[in-house]
Amino acid sequence: MLDIQNLQVVYGTGRMRVDAVKNVSFHVEPGAAYGLVGESGSGKSTVLRAICGLAPITNGRVLVDGQQVTTPRGKAFYRTVQMVFQDPYASLHPRHTVDRTLSEPLAIHGEKDGEARILQALKEVGLGPSFRFRYPHQLSGGQRQRIAIARALILRPKVLLLDEPTSALDASVQAEILNLLDDLRRRLGLTYILVSHDLAVVAHLCERLLVMQHGEAVEETTSAALRSGVATNDYTQSLIQASQGFTRVAPQPAQAPAA
Amino acid sequence: MTKPLLDVEDLRVRFHLRTGTVEAVRGVSFQLGRERLGIVGESGSGKSQTGRAILGLTPPPGEVTAKRLAFDGIDLLTASKRTLRTLRGGRISMVMQDPKYSLNPVMTIGEQIIEAYQAHAKASKAEARDKALAMLEAVKMRNPGRVFSLYPHEVSGGMGQRAMIAMMLVTDPDLLIADEPTSALDVTVSMEVLRILDELVSERGMGLIFISHDLKLVSSFCDRVLVMYAGRVVEQLEAKNLREAQHPYTQGLMRCLPTLADDVRPLPTLNRDPAWAL
Repeated sequence: MLDIQNLQVVYGTGRMRVDAVKNVSFHVEPGAAYGLVGESGSGKSTVLRAICGLAPITNGRVLVDGQQVTTPRGKAFYRTVQMVFQDPYASLHPRHTVDRTLSEPLAIHGEKDGEARILQALKEVGLGPSFRFRYPHQLSGGQRQRIAIARALILRPKVLLLDEPTSALDASVQAEILNLLDDLRRRLGLTYILVSHDLAVVAHLCERLLVMQHGEAVEETTSAALRSGVATNDYTQSLIQASQGFTRVAPQPAQAPAA
Repeated sequence: MTKPLLDVEDLRVRFHLRTGTVEAVRGVSFQLGRERLGIVGESGSGKSQTGRAILGLTPPPGEVTAKRLAFDGIDLLTASKRTLRTLRGGRISMVMQDPKYSLNPVMTIGEQIIEAYQAHAKASKAEARDKALAMLEAVKMRNPGRVFSLYPHEVSGGMGQRAMIAMMLVTDPDLLIADEPTSALDVTVSMEVLRILDELVSERGMGLIFISHDLKLVSSFCDRVLVMYAGRVVEQLEAKNLREAQHPYTQGLMRCLPTLADDVRPLPTLNRDPAWAL
């Protein structure tokens, strides 16, 4: 479905040159979920932004459905690929109602039957029709992220790019959104690319993942391997360890959970 | 138990708004010795307001009341502003969430640490400078001399947070309140920062209040955990016994996290019982 070949993203020139992404390649099958993991500055979000046209592609190719993308991206591209951003507090227009937010993509693409589509989209993300005329400030963080997902889904895309969709949310709300994403993927046959710094979230949602560091791909692995703690790379290993919580260097004697 | 360092009884924080009164913290009581205490809860549970109220940093028009709010025998509610000023930053200090917003952008990191030190200790500039450099070294800065003369925008998030910790610990406080000190940092960096914090706390025998929304992190870092919900402490337990938590809210919070260890699908979600907030 998605084929990224030797993707390179460079910002600036000369002394100010920053290589944000260096030669990253991966392939995502239709209906699969692929994770990108790494620390801030590792270039994982830049890969997503390069795919959907928010960052320049300096070198390499991005193929969607076997076709190389054009710059600027056409309408057809955005019918296939949509993005959900990290912070639902920032990604929804504060002075647009849910209805307006959802009708915008329909208007751009000349879709008819807006009202039914909006109600359908709200239903898909588990919100009732009563949310239709609310403003973002009248919604909780989880509800806002649901609206952002509904906005991305309303054009019936095949690929959803998810940039840290749950990191601004509380743990209990994160669980709800992860369940929703899992469910939508199965029901609508979507392909996901998920960017997250949380290994557990990526392992939960994705089958395969790419670990990135300093703009380079460090290791491609599977969630199953991650769960069993198998990682050939030291950096991946340190990420796995860090996700287990804090460990004291000298283990305390009272560590055995007996008694 | 010896005399507690901090004694909080029935702490309440209210905000009188146009639309009515919001009680952000509703009757929180706990005692703190020289230990690591975690306060966990979701956004809006009142955990940060609890930390701020202890320092007298509740933003106006907030109103703080308590049956007792005493630090080392000093009543913080009736203490004069002057006493409070010497306590704050001196014997009690606070590390905030985001170094980007809590460091002064137009002062070098070294100057800021010197300023913090000289505000509480009579010391010459040279002494303060030595102390600041020693402190930067204590937080594992690779090149303290260089970091000393850098501005906050020139350092990474992890370094900024370590500089904050250096600044807060330079006065040798007895109590450190850390409000989400690692939430803005990457996992591996945050582990590093926690390790430094952990060492300093145990070396200097400080009391630590660690405020976080991350239950897993808190349970692995702290000795004791308070779980807050809607302004109340719903459960208080030893961190190592977190798995045996009794309250359905704590249990729910534990269960709804995806883990690497096992694959539960769909994730159990939290059904909030209105009775918890009563």
